[in-house]
Parts: sequence; C-alpha cells; structure tokens
Amino acid sequence: MAFESTAYKVVRYVVLVLASIFVIIPLIPLIFMAFKTGAEYSSTSVLTAPESFFNFYNFSYAIRVGNLGKAFINTAIILTISLAFQVTGTAMVAYVLSRFDFMGKKIVKTLFTLTMFIPVVATQNLIFRMMYAVKLVNTMWSVIILYSGVGIVGIYIMLNQLDSISKEIDEAALIDGAGYFRTFVQIIFPLMKPACTTLVIINGIGLYNDFYIPNLYLNRDVQTFTVALYKFFGSMATPFEIVAAAIIIGMIPIMIVFIFLQKYIYNGLAGSVKM
Amino acid sequence: MKSKSRAGFIILFLALPLIHLIIFSYVPIIGNFVLSFTNWKGFGDIEFIGIRNYRKIFTNPEYISMFKNCAWYFLAAIPQLIFAFLLAVVVNGKFKGLNIFKGILIIPYLLNGVIISTIFIIFFNNTGTLNTIFGAFGLEALQHQWLQDLDLVNPAVASISIWRYYGMNFIMFFGALQAIPTELYEAATLDGCTKWQEIRYISVPFIKKVLFINILLSVSGSIQVFEIPYIMLNGSNGTSTPVIMIQQSMSENRAGFAAALSVLVFVIVLIVVGLQKLLVKED
Repeated sequence: MAFESTAYKVVRYVVLVLASIFVIIPLIPLIFMAFKTGAEYSSTSVLTAPESFFNFYNFSYAIRVGNLGKAFINTAIILTISLAFQVTGTAMVAYVLSRFDFMGKKIVKTLFTLTMFIPVVATQNLIFRMMYAVKLVNTMWSVIILYSGVGIVGIYIMLNQLDSISKEIDEAALIDGAGYFRTFVQIIFPLMKPACTTLVIINGIGLYNDFYIPNLYLNRDVQTFTVALYKFFGSMATPFEIVAAAIIIGMIPIMIVFIFLQKYIYNGLAGSVKM
Repeated sequence: MKSKSRAGFIILFLALPLIHLIIFSYVPIIGNFVLSFTNWKGFGDIEFIGIRNYRKIFTNPEYISMFKNCAWYFLAAIPQLIFAFLLAVVVNGKFKGLNIFKGILIIPYLLNGVIISTIFIIFFNNTGTLNTIFGAFGLEALQHQWLQDLDLVNPAVASISIWRYYGMNFIMFFGALQAIPTELYEAATLDGCTKWQEIRYISVPFIKKVLFINILLSVSGSIQVFEIPYIMLNGSNGTSTPVIMIQQSMSENRAGFAAALSVLVFVIVLIVVGLQKLLVKED
C-alpha cells in the first residue's frame, strides 16, 4: 500500500466513525426498548436508556407468545433441506459443465444464465396457482421446492473451484475403473468443500432473511422465523417493547453466523461480482 | 470410453436442476405473458380480453404512481453508491481497528426486511429517533410526521434502502479495489501523486465495471421494491409499489391483472440486465 499522509489517516477515521454512527443510531432505541417495562416505554423518550439492562421479561414473553421456538425449528428444517438440495444440485451442474463437452451444453448454460433476467416476484402469480393445485400451499414443501433451485451465481462459484482442481485427478480415477458417478461422489465433490461452504453461508443468510416467499406460501401453523416476527409486529395488540425484544432475538442467529464466518461472507459476495 | 454411460451420467446430473429451472422460471414467465391478456381469476374459465389489463395500468393514476414511487428508490441509490464507494476507499488499507469497522459497517446488510422495518418505524415515528434528535438540537422546525405526510412518506421510506443496501455495494467496491495491483499505487507514490489523484486516476477507472453493475442492480432493485413499504405501511399512504400490487391482485383473485403487472416488471428488469450484459461485454 502506498504512503498515507497523517491528514489522510485523520480523514479515514473521521469517515469511519461517522459511518459507524450512521449505522448504530437507528439500532440504539431498539435495544433500549427491549429492556424497558411497559410503563417506562410510554413515559420515556426513545433515546433514554432503560432503568435496567437485566429486565428480560420482554424476551421471555416474546418467546412464549410469539411461538418463536416453533418458528425457529421450521426455519431450521426448511434451510437444511433446501441448502442440501441446492449445494448438491449446483455441484452436479457445475461438474458436468466443467468436465464434459456435449451437445446442447451451450443451451444449458444459457438457460441458467438467462434466469438473471427473471425476477422471482414476477413469477409467483402463476407458481402460487400451481402449488395450490398440487395442494402444497401452507406446507413447508412449497417453500423448500422453490428454494431448491440451482442459481447461476452458485454455478460460477463452483466452476471457479473446479478450475483449480486438476483434470488429471478425474482421469486417474476413471482409469482405475471408478466410473463417472463414483469419481464425482468420492473424489471431486469432497475437494469442492470450500465452494460448498461459501454457497451454504451466502444462500443460507439469504434464505433465513427471505420474507416474500414464506409470507406468500405459509400460514400461521408452519411459518418461518422471519414471518413469525412479522405476524407478531403486524398485530397491533402486541406492545412495542415486546416487539423490540422479539426483533433482537431475530438478530442473534445471524450475528453469530457472521462473527464466526465473516471471511466467507466477504469472499462469496466479492466473488459473485466476477462472473 | 464408454459413451453410453457418459451420456447417461450427463443426463442424470442435469435432469432435475433443468426441470426445476423450466417449471419455476420459464413456464411462469411465458404463462404470465399469455394470462396478461385474460381476465382469469386464478381458477375457472379463461376469457381473452386483449390489452385491457395493460390499458388499465397505464391510464389509472393510482397504478402510474406505483411506478413513480420506484423512482424514489432509485434516487436513494445515488447517495448510497457514493457513500459505499467512499467507505471502500478509506477501508482499503492496513490500519488499527479495520476489522471492527468492517464488522459494524456490514450489520445492516445482514438484517432482514422485518427487522429493518421495525427499526425504522421507531426511527420515523412522531416521537421517534429522528424527531427526538432534532428536538435535542433545537431543530424543531425539521420535525415532521414522516410516515403520515403524503409528500414525505415516499422519500422517507425510500431512504431506508440507503441504510439497508449500502453494505452490499461496499463489499463489491472493496473487493474490486483489493484486486488492483499494489505496484500501481507504489509507482504513483514515487511520482508524487496525492491520495486524491490516486483515487481519481487509479481507483475509479479500475472499478468502473463494478460501479456500473452496482448502478444497474439499483435500477432493477428499485422496480422490485416490496418488503419495506409492505411491512411498514402495507402500501398505504401512497407507498404502494408494482410488486405490492401484484400480491394484492393475487389475493383479490385478479390473476390476469397480476400477470400483466408481472410482465411489466419482468420487461423492465430484462431491459436493465440486458443493458448491463451488453455494455460490460464491450469493455
């Protein structure tokens, strides 16, 4: 890196501190609110700190009344199954595209690439009717099926990884009589683990945060965590300090994932631009 | 080699992903196009009514205003991109606290629409964060009913997308800046370039492509706005968007009309992404 003058270093810290304030200010009242009693909430300003940061009543109330535990389990089931399908499917498509030349390869690639032009919101009108016709609306399977598709960004992440795995490895396995399927399952797929991890994290965050699809397809009995938070806050009867506590609970899983896996998040997002 | 098993393997691996792709991406787009010329309810008979759905969208001021609302979200993208670029430039380097700042700056990007909507209902409420801050600095003249005032509600809600999405632009810019060879900066320093000249003549030209991708992502994102105005206001106070209207038409059993709106959203995204592919290829 080039020489940096003292003035530039000062400018850097000023910019970063201001930006951090910009990020943090909207969050402060939410955190304060979650620890306030009902009476405190209505009598104090949003920027007044709560009397005690050990008042966990709102949190326990939110978990009990909002059915958050059940919603969390639903989300976990949906995410696990969908991500397993997504990663396996993406690895399979990428492997075939990377190692084989065949008739129609260009068409297959184009079909996947063109989905960039198709916004999810512009397709649900008809998909909802299809799901309804096969009686999958209000079951987790509608959401799982929709989430299990193979996306072009994932294909590129996997293709990059496959480029770095020597084709001689495949050839050696084939000569040893492993067959295409076993070569992929036992030798290549395990080598693709870093790309799979990136995909799981990036898409996992996306699916955990998704509101549009589960809100459209799932009712109260099978709702996901994000929709449970929404239902909670949509019913005006819930006191706002309880909503604030529920929202903070909703932030915890994503923050934990971020703290431990931030390297993958930066790499994955930066990598998706290079396609 | 065994060409039969080779072909079988390729088909085995591509079949399910391709079927999924066709059923859930291509069939609905083509289906919507056909249905947009009908008054289908979502069940029962289908009757063709020509371009009546489209005419309704383009003549009713209520529907036109939904598309105009999208313009606010695009306007918000301008400060958002400048802010993200500025941050990427100052973060690019080695200094104390780098990881802490990076961690803080990425928080909004990790939060979902429900969480962000709640945060900003508190922020824009009449006794909320923004008005409280104005009050504390004696700026009562700036206090407004942000979510009730029909002139202010759309810019207020659209400005939330700056907070929400600048982190994504920031990561992309940052990734692009890191790809610039350091020798370039070293040579520039030897030649006596100022930091400002470095940014102007090395950083900006190098990340032009990424900047362009980000601008187009913002346009195509603006036309698909749904979560924040839907969750915060249910599209009321004139904050409806085309996607909120699609959802509403679906629940009112106006599948034909929803199809016409979907086609319009699709066509706009198609033009924007197509433009991106075309121009990026020229580079």
